Amino acid sequence: MKPLNRSQLHDLYYYLRLNRRVDEQLVNLYRQGKVVGGVYSSLGQEAISVGTAYALQPQDFIGPMIRNVGAMMVRGFRPRDVFLQYMARQGGPTGGRDANTHFGDVARGVIAPISVLGEMVPVLAGIALAAKLRKEKRVALTYVGDGASSTGPFHEGLNLAAVQKLPLILIGENNAWAYSTPVEKQMAVRNLAERAKAYGIPATTIDGNDVLKVFETTRAAAERARRGGGPSFIECKTMRMKGHAEHDDAKYVPKEVVEKWRKKDPILRYEKYLCAKKLMTAEEKAAIEARLEKEIREDVAYAEASPFPPPEDAARSPWAP
Amino acid sequence: MATSKIARTAKKAGVPNAATLERMLYYLKLTREAEFRIERVLYRQGKIVGGVYVGRGQEAVGVGAAIQLREGDVILPCHRDFSAFVIRGFRLADIFANWMARADSPNRGRDNTLHIGDLKLGIIPIISPLGATCPVACGVALVLKQRGQGNVALVHFGEGTTSVGDVHEAMNFAAVMKLPVVFVCNNNQYAYSTPTEKQYAVKSLAVRGPAYGMPGETVDGMDVLAVHEAVGRAIARARAGQGPSFLECITFRMTGHSAHDGAEYVPDALLRAWEKRDPIDRFEKYLLTKKVLTRAEIAALEKSIHREIEQAIADAEARPMPAGAEALEGVYCGPECWWKREN
Repeated sequence: MKPLNRSQLHDLYYYLRLNRRVDEQLVNLYRQGKVVGGVYSSLGQEAISVGTAYALQPQDFIGPMIRNVGAMMVRGFRPRDVFLQYMARQGGPTGGRDANTHFGDVARGVIAPISVLGEMVPVLAGIALAAKLRKEKRVALTYVGDGASSTGPFHEGLNLAAVQKLPLILIGENNAWAYSTPVEKQMAVRNLAERAKAYGIPATTIDGNDVLKVFETTRAAAERARRGGGPSFIECKTMRMKGHAEHDDAKYVPKEVVEKWRKKDPILRYEKYLCAKKLMTAEEKAAIEARLEKEIREDVAYAEASPFPPPEDAARSPWAP
Repeated sequence: MATSKIARTAKKAGVPNAATLERMLYYLKLTREAEFRIERVLYRQGKIVGGVYVGRGQEAVGVGAAIQLREGDVILPCHRDFSAFVIRGFRLADIFANWMARADSPNRGRDNTLHIGDLKLGIIPIISPLGATCPVACGVALVLKQRGQGNVALVHFGEGTTSVGDVHEAMNFAAVMKLPVVFVCNNNQYAYSTPTEKQYAVKSLAVRGPAYGMPGETVDGMDVLAVHEAVGRAIARARAGQGPSFLECITFRMTGHSAHDGAEYVPDALLRAWEKRDPIDRFEKYLLTKKVLTRAEIAALEKSIHREIEQAIADAEARPMPAGAEALEGVYCGPECWWKREN
């Protein structure tokens, strides 16, 4: 497999930074009282969203969770889509009806996140089945957290994918906490990958804060799936750097653990790598940052100026006409 | 060869005493004959209607497991575990009356399969959407653990059921909470018409145990002593506070999924091959070889079993059918309810 060229390496950097900036901006808006509802940050987990999504091809399908905003950006959504959603504006993807990131676009190969985690595994397995039946070179990728790996649908979807040898990639985003449940209370094995062995599929555990590792592992799994090699499970270890959501102060997480992981920040690490290998100059970095800031500034302004849905809209049926 | 394999297994295990061995043969033969009458006589005579599920060929799994339960233990059987009901104390006549939908029967004519239970006997009814009893078993085990008297819960299900989400959630919960549950998987090679190759992509379901952090083992389900031994060890672990275990018992479904299923999808040669490994024939040979029982004693046992079954069927047949006027009653438990009357 070809290594990434300079431009692609910069792409990864752009998306990592974009993911984090969108997150930060949301928190600002939340504190200003402009966001309706819960804000779910992906701080510290950006390498997983970006690395996995970047490894897919345009015809592939992805089923992100709400902490995978980075993946949605890679697939072509813009920061304004996220801001419009969170601020419940009419122009947002769900017309102000979902104040989170439960939106997608089948045309762009993005399945809207299902709030009930675990459920997307059978859904994306179904998409993989369709691809297989149609003899398409298409793969389906979705995510579960450590918590969602304990759900029935995770089991049923993964077993079906294994038996039918479907082109499904399942990313186990192990960020050590499912709300206030630590992973030691979630399962009696050490790694999520051990669960996946129960299905007879290749399973691996990698450093989820290493964007290149995430990218390479996902790409290899996608190639395997495209060749008819069936599903894979990739456990990406990371840490949830904030609470379950902004309204959760996460006092139950030991501060030392968070600080230990801060030193392993995925964006810092990637920056150091690019710098050490002379793959990004200070000017190139500054250009990316300028582009990011402009984008965020414009999209926040756009979203803030965007109208709320009119009250009459509330009675409109949520079902497709 | 079958006999020497049983002998080898027995040496390892610490074989049950002669009295227990005889009881095991009794339950095996009682189950086979009773289910024969249910599926291939009463059903064909139109005296039993509806879906008829028996465990032909898989009797060793029910007997080998349930016979080890003691006071306070709880079993959550599946449709192939007729013996578990009798071992725990259900009256044969009541089981036949239930199959024949009599008013005086555990389900009062409203459900005529083995969806029967009795908390006093430590037996929880089969829940028709299979897999659902697994989380229930965890709930039971959680109570048993809290009571601290060393009791265990046994839950039985097939290999098809292992693909159901409930089993995953239950096994994970049991492992994390170190609950005294024994998960007994009766792998009889077919889930209705789905063969094992279309059910799972692993070579053996035993790997499901370690995937949750509990011991997992494959057992010869056609060898009642092997089942007895493996379940015995799992029960001992649970009683000692070491948590759950997963046992895959390899058997073969020697009849259709149900009486109305001709099972043409099962290759004849496969069925004939497995029939040679009949668990009851094998155990009988073992008992004769080990001189635990003579041929005459076994013949007498068979006669006695036939008499017992005939009496139970006659008893059940004599009971009246439920009155039409009562059809809408008894969905919810009231003071007149069978269970409340007995308490």
